[in-house]
Amino acid sequence: MTQHSSRTTPPEHRGLRGFVRDNGLGLFFTVTFLLALAGQAIAGHADFNNQLVADQLRPISLAEYLTSSDFAVDVAENWQSEYLQFFLFIGVTVWLVQRGSPESKELHKGGTESDKQQLVGKYAKEGAPAWARVGGWRRAVYSHSLLLVMGAIFLLSWLVQSITGVAAYNEQQLRQLQAPISWSQYLGAADFWNRTLQNWQSELLAVASMAVLSIYLRQRGSPESKPVGSAHGATGVEG
Amino acid sequence: MTGRAGRVAVTVVLAGAVSACGTVSERRDEVRDAAVAFEKAVAAGAYGRMCTALAPGTVEELEQSAGSPCAKALSEESLASGGAVRVVDVYGNQARAVLATDTLFLSRFAAGWKVVAAGCSPRPEQPYQCRVKGG
Repeated sequence: MTQHSSRTTPPEHRGLRGFVRDNGLGLFFTVTFLLALAGQAIAGHADFNNQLVADQLRPISLAEYLTSSDFAVDVAENWQSEYLQFFLFIGVTVWLVQRGSPESKELHKGGTESDKQQLVGKYAKEGAPAWARVGGWRRAVYSHSLLLVMGAIFLLSWLVQSITGVAAYNEQQLRQLQAPISWSQYLGAADFWNRTLQNWQSELLAVASMAVLSIYLRQRGSPESKPVGSAHGATGVEG
Repeated sequence: MTGRAGRVAVTVVLAGAVSACGTVSERRDEVRDAAVAFEKAVAAGAYGRMCTALAPGTVEELEQSAGSPCAKALSEESLASGGAVRVVDVYGNQARAVLATDTLFLSRFAAGWKVVAAGCSPRPEQPYQCRVKGG
């Protein structure tokens, strides 16, 4: 905290307000994520119990539902597809461009670009991350850290989906007086791929829509859009 | 939430989940015990005990389709004892017990594991065919 800023705003006010103002985007999506997850838990619990009651079986408590495979697979199947979406978006936009889209780099910049363009090594400026300054494996890892972490979360979520999915599927099988199946059998089962692909298709459609619609449409003030007056053909321009 | 409060909350949730549901091996043992108790009642022709071991929905369906009380309806089904328990599968509150010559399906109720279906034979690509089952 600088002397100047502490003079202009009372410290106890400035700290919280300043934090909220500086982190509004992250805070908004974290809070709305938690609210939506809570809503999913309540609606999912009610839906699950409706099925149990219809089958003349014992309904379960909310605490039981929150630790059930049914809730876990519903959460994980959506998480994996979201992280796959960002993994692909980050990775594919290195190489592929879209004329006129603010989601794309300029048309001639396809690829991982030079050290000078990426401000690493001897081109690093003041305030650059330490691993961007150094060479070797640390720079290589840091240069792809966003893609690596998104990819790792995607794979982990997908693995969790498969494990909780087979448990939820088998619980359903037993309720219908059918034999349970193994995890490896589940990986080839229609239920696993239906859950997976119905999420993938919607994520891919959303990205394709964003990449193309943003060529012609605008949202004034949003960095996800080009400036309102930009030409449709202007590529790699954010508002 | 502070770090300590967070740890306490996680511990409480985990403890609640474990105490409410038990571990997988505990639940498997409970299912095995319930299956053995049911099979002993079958072997002894103790229809009253068999009725107590059945799930409420199964008793209701049995009585409705037979038009007689549970014990009498079961005596007319002439279920044979299935022998020793070979395999137990438990997923959530549902279970299957594969016996030497029979298969039982069970579900967990407030009073413990109850038999949802008995006298079941597997059919390819279809649900088991069961002599006694819920609606």
